Amino acid sequence: MQRRMTWKEFLFVLPLLLLVMVFSLFPIASSFVYTLFDYQTNNQAKNSLYTGATLNAALYAEDCDYFVHYLKRDAQAVGDADKPALTALSETMAAQSALYSGGERTVALPAATGEAIQSLLSDTRALLTRLADTYPDLRIVTHGPQLLDEMETCLVSSNFVGLENYGRLGGDARFGQAVGNTFVFTAISVAIELVLGMALALIMDKAIRGIGMVRTTALIPWAIPTAVSALIWCYLYDGTSGVVAMVFHRLGLIASPELLLTTAGGTMFSAILADVWKTTPYMALLLLAGLQVIDRGLYESSAIDGAGAVRTFTSITLPLLKPSMLVALLFRTLDAFRVYDLIAVLTKGTPETLSIYAYKMMIGQSNYGYGSVIVVAMFLMVAAIAFVYVKVLGAELIRE
Amino acid sequence: MTTLQPKRQQAQDRRSMGHAIMWVLILCFIAVNLFPFLWVLITSFKPGSEIYGAQTAFRIIAAEPTAGNYVTVVQKGILSAVLNSLLVSGITTGYVVLVASMSAYVIARCHFRGKTALMALILGISMFPQMIVVGPIFNMFFQLRMLNSYWVTMAYSTITLPSAVWIMVAHFKRIPLSVEEAAKIDGCSQWQTLWRVIFPMAAPGVFTTAIMTFIAAWNEYLLTLTLNSQKEYHTVPVAINALRTQFSILWGEITAATIIVVIPTLAIVLLFQKQIVSGITSGAVKE
Repeated sequence: MQRRMTWKEFLFVLPLLLLVMVFSLFPIASSFVYTLFDYQTNNQAKNSLYTGATLNAALYAEDCDYFVHYLKRDAQAVGDADKPALTALSETMAAQSALYSGGERTVALPAATGEAIQSLLSDTRALLTRLADTYPDLRIVTHGPQLLDEMETCLVSSNFVGLENYGRLGGDARFGQAVGNTFVFTAISVAIELVLGMALALIMDKAIRGIGMVRTTALIPWAIPTAVSALIWCYLYDGTSGVVAMVFHRLGLIASPELLLTTAGGTMFSAILADVWKTTPYMALLLLAGLQVIDRGLYESSAIDGAGAVRTFTSITLPLLKPSMLVALLFRTLDAFRVYDLIAVLTKGTPETLSIYAYKMMIGQSNYGYGSVIVVAMFLMVAAIAFVYVKVLGAELIRE
Repeated sequence: MTTLQPKRQQAQDRRSMGHAIMWVLILCFIAVNLFPFLWVLITSFKPGSEIYGAQTAFRIIAAEPTAGNYVTVVQKGILSAVLNSLLVSGITTGYVVLVASMSAYVIARCHFRGKTALMALILGISMFPQMIVVGPIFNMFFQLRMLNSYWVTMAYSTITLPSAVWIMVAHFKRIPLSVEEAAKIDGCSQWQTLWRVIFPMAAPGVFTTAIMTFIAAWNEYLLTLTLNSQKEYHTVPVAINALRTQFSILWGEITAATIIVVIPTLAIVLLFQKQIVSGITSGAVKE
């Protein structure tokens, strides 16, 4: 008994579609395109996506004009043997200037034209070297090489590299390390959050009084910006004034208080602990909601049948909670997998996860080509994780 | 009778033991949850000399409490960051809630081709690593000269819109179709039905969506950090991290700023916890 869609209904969905296209789909597609180029925004020859050669036409034409101007006098100064070469060069330069002056500042060239200009420049250079021995005072001999240098920078060749960037991933040890760190962080923190969150949810499900207070305190760490809570933990872990570092040190858990933020193991542990602190309550709330839709009568029947607490948990609670649990786990896993704020603030980037590495590569080093390969790899891993949850474990996300 | 008595007693003992353990666990949980904030609150009133000294750093009560840290961070402009955050989160919430409720109504009520694909797409967007859009969005904003402006709120749609649509669809589906039919029989036009009947009924959902969107926008760090590098456009998460200087970390200032910026969040949690829990769990729970 549902309505069909008319243009009026379509207008209602249109803003959503536009926003999704402009700020989600287009950027994702762009990232995929970036991976095919040697795209570095801090390098003039690579700061855009050049599929063909491009020419800084204005500057190039100006340089050609200089050649024509110098050649006018130089042509009289050389012997008859060299005259034709100079006249030919002058004509070529004049033609080039006519071709490229007055139009667009930069023009895209077919690959063949780019190569032709390249060979013209190298031929001219060879000619100048030959003339330099006999006529060291010619103006094209004294000024020409500089002009040629400039003209070469006018010509930007394609930075399309195909799948070459992907090939680099295999040999990149730093990438392998980042993948390892990301998986370790995700697996350990999600596992701890599941166990603690389950315990908390079971307690909250049983408790009659005090649940409101527990719920309120549970929401606080979740609602605080990660970048702020990470800073709080940074203070608590601090080697000289951090109270958590001090307590761990006194308890003998760590040899010295500054280890928490300075060693590889320490930073991983610190990041996981801060993440568990922030997200366990969230996990507990999701699981609690799942627990509360379980029919209470089932618990009574199992009590009458004489089942103990453990048996009731494994035979009733767990199977009935499975759908909610899988959805909660899926969201938490993907959330932990893309962790950025927490680690970026807590330790300024150690342990280096995939998000951190990609951000440093793109925004830090302006290397968008290779940085995009890392995010695309992340994207594919996320898709694989979601696939495993939905298809293999049977998490049900969309119901009709 | 005499043999039954101790058994019942035992069972009662065991139950009250269980209760006691449960309460201890609950108290532990609350303590662990709140401890970082309490410690930050304590530090924010300590003078610098007491924060760094080995003897005084771990004292619970400051020997010479001071409000100096608060004065300093207010002078450094933390309040303008709070204002920015309010502005940015407010704008985002406004348009996201509007766009999400319009489209969610159609998604919940109409049958059209590609609906499942659209829902899957929206779900997919909420799952992908945010990092994949940051580079291209930075380039887009750079070319359109939109860096360092409140246009950043448009980019926030990528993190807020999917869950907003998701929550709204769940709420619209709960409104029975018969309500709309009844309104039509009573002579309401399509628009009247929508504005006078459906949207008021969906108000709790709209409210939940608004709060979830606001919190998500308030907490956003990556996009503002990348797109708005100028201090005057910094939101709270970015501004507070900018207090960290290259060479030293002034914990007194940072803790005072933390307390200031946490207050709005705290107020939202205390006032709207029901809506937040409903927002967190809608779409995630199988009923």
